[in-house]
Amino acid sequence: MSEDRQIATNPGPGPWERTGYWGPTNPDENPAVLAIRAAFPGAYVDAVNYRDEMTVRVEREFLREVVQFLRDEPELRFNLLTDETFVDMLRLRDDPRFDLVVQLYSVPKRRRLRLKTGVNDGETVPSLVPVFAAANWLEREAYDMFGLIFEGHPDLRRILLAEDWDEGHPLRKDYPIRGFREYVQPGYDTPAPRVRSRLRRP
Amino acid sequence: MSLEFKEPTPVVVTEEHLLTDNRREMVLNMGPQHPSTHGVLRVRLSLEGEVVTACDPVIGYLHRGVEKIGETKRYSQFTPWTDRTDYVASPSNNLGYILTVEKLLGFEAPERAQYWRMIMGEFARIASHLVWLGTHALDIGALSMSLYCFRERELIMDIFETFCGARLTTNMMEIGGFSRPIPPELPGMVRNFLDVFPSRLKEYSDLLSANPIWLARTRGIGVIEPDVALSYGLTGACLRGSGINYDVRKAQPYLLYDRMEFEVPLGTHGDVYDRYLVRMEEFRQSLKIIRQCIDQVPTDGSLKLAESNYVIPPHDTVMTTAEDMQRHFVWVIKGFSPPKGEVYMAIEHSKGELGHYIVSDGSPIPYRLRIRTPDFVNLQSLPYMAEGAMLADVVALIGTIDIVLGSVDR
Repeated sequence: MSEDRQIATNPGPGPWERTGYWGPTNPDENPAVLAIRAAFPGAYVDAVNYRDEMTVRVEREFLREVVQFLRDEPELRFNLLTDETFVDMLRLRDDPRFDLVVQLYSVPKRRRLRLKTGVNDGETVPSLVPVFAAANWLEREAYDMFGLIFEGHPDLRRILLAEDWDEGHPLRKDYPIRGFREYVQPGYDTPAPRVRSRLRRP
Repeated sequence: MSLEFKEPTPVVVTEEHLLTDNRREMVLNMGPQHPSTHGVLRVRLSLEGEVVTACDPVIGYLHRGVEKIGETKRYSQFTPWTDRTDYVASPSNNLGYILTVEKLLGFEAPERAQYWRMIMGEFARIASHLVWLGTHALDIGALSMSLYCFRERELIMDIFETFCGARLTTNMMEIGGFSRPIPPELPGMVRNFLDVFPSRLKEYSDLLSANPIWLARTRGIGVIEPDVALSYGLTGACLRGSGINYDVRKAQPYLLYDRMEFEVPLGTHGDVYDRYLVRMEEFRQSLKIIRQCIDQVPTDGSLKLAESNYVIPPHDTVMTTAEDMQRHFVWVIKGFSPPKGEVYMAIEHSKGELGHYIVSDGSPIPYRLRIRTPDFVNLQSLPYMAEGAMLADVVALIGTIDIVLGSVDR
């Protein structure tokens, strides 16, 4: 170890150490968690805190009502839908297979909140388009990539892939990275040889 | 290899191809190869005369499956892909991804690296806004603006090139800090830019801000009310043009933005002209931040976090010490395994809120990597603005959202 080497020090609290961006870290003190628990006792499942981020899991049927409640409640005002997407939990658990992840932000309160709900293949999720217009394209992308239907979406069709794409939904974990089919390039007789990836997930 | 050339079948235009029914509506395809759509955006417009009755943006022509690729790459290997999502502001994309991974790992870079990250992020914002201003004005008819804007962008590209050797896809940031030392001439180049740019910015304002043609083409066009802007999830200058005060750097500061003095410009009418004014003011605020950074940044000190298994060791100690050589070997061959968990980190990109959401299962590869790009969400507001507008205004509306199709399609 050389003498002139400098050990870096942490100059101050990092963003994830500054509590408050996602509200109080204790779920029993977080006003959003308390409000959901009080207003929807049947919908609330649990609340998890990791790296100062609050994740509330709710029942699938109540998702739209919960989001609308969080938007309109004067103490919370989660009025910006930041993101909405799925996570395929295929290798991590059995049931339910997918998680719908909704990221919310409150402009007046400067707080974030993440809602999660589990959904299995073949089931539908309530669409958030009646609550937030921003959900339109986000849900179209989520459908395009994962193939789950949003109930009540006005215009659910593929957005990033071609409209006649018939090879499934690529962000599912059982979708191979190079697709299902061999493609013959124009001008060639046989498909290009496949290079085996060294990176295999255990 | 067979080189067969198929003769294209000639298309004979018959009366069926022309408008034979009595509809007054005409469907017009704008793009995907139209120069004013800033890439490969295709907009399907229904027109009645010159008035747009329906507008349907068709995207996906540049879809490369970046999120799927992210699920096959190690954390450190994915940084170059973030350059290619929004290729006019690649340091900002690096920053958003790296900060998310660092949040997952639970540390942050040394102070000196954080200052330089802020400087490079603000330069990326200025470069991106310069491309926006040049192309937006070019679409509306001010041809010379693009020449001036790209002239100043060259200065920023030179700074990037001096710092990391690349101009467009920089790949300059690394988990834990920077991999390269700061070149000795770089602070001088930054100060030179700070001296030169304010007068150039005044030239832009003189050319456009009171120009009657510019005013006629931008004022009162594409108005978005504040509640509609919130419902559409707009962020960045599109949201602030409607008067809503949301800037991630102020609302939830990352890096050292809480030490900086700057202001958030807000519009009042929510039209194209307001968004233009907001972005012009953001140029000045970015300059202010860079000036504070370059005054405060320590001239010596570490640029990368050391003594962590998550960070690749510096080259000189790899060559001289056994411990670092082992760490380097393990880092390169196996990668590192972050803790299990999920993080979402948002930064203020030049186009809005850039969010990365990573789900980690404890393996060296992200289990799920979601990129929430600002212009994908912002582009949804195009039908709202375009319906009822004139055909010629659609060009101005696409320009005012400030899209980069690599970022929209990912």
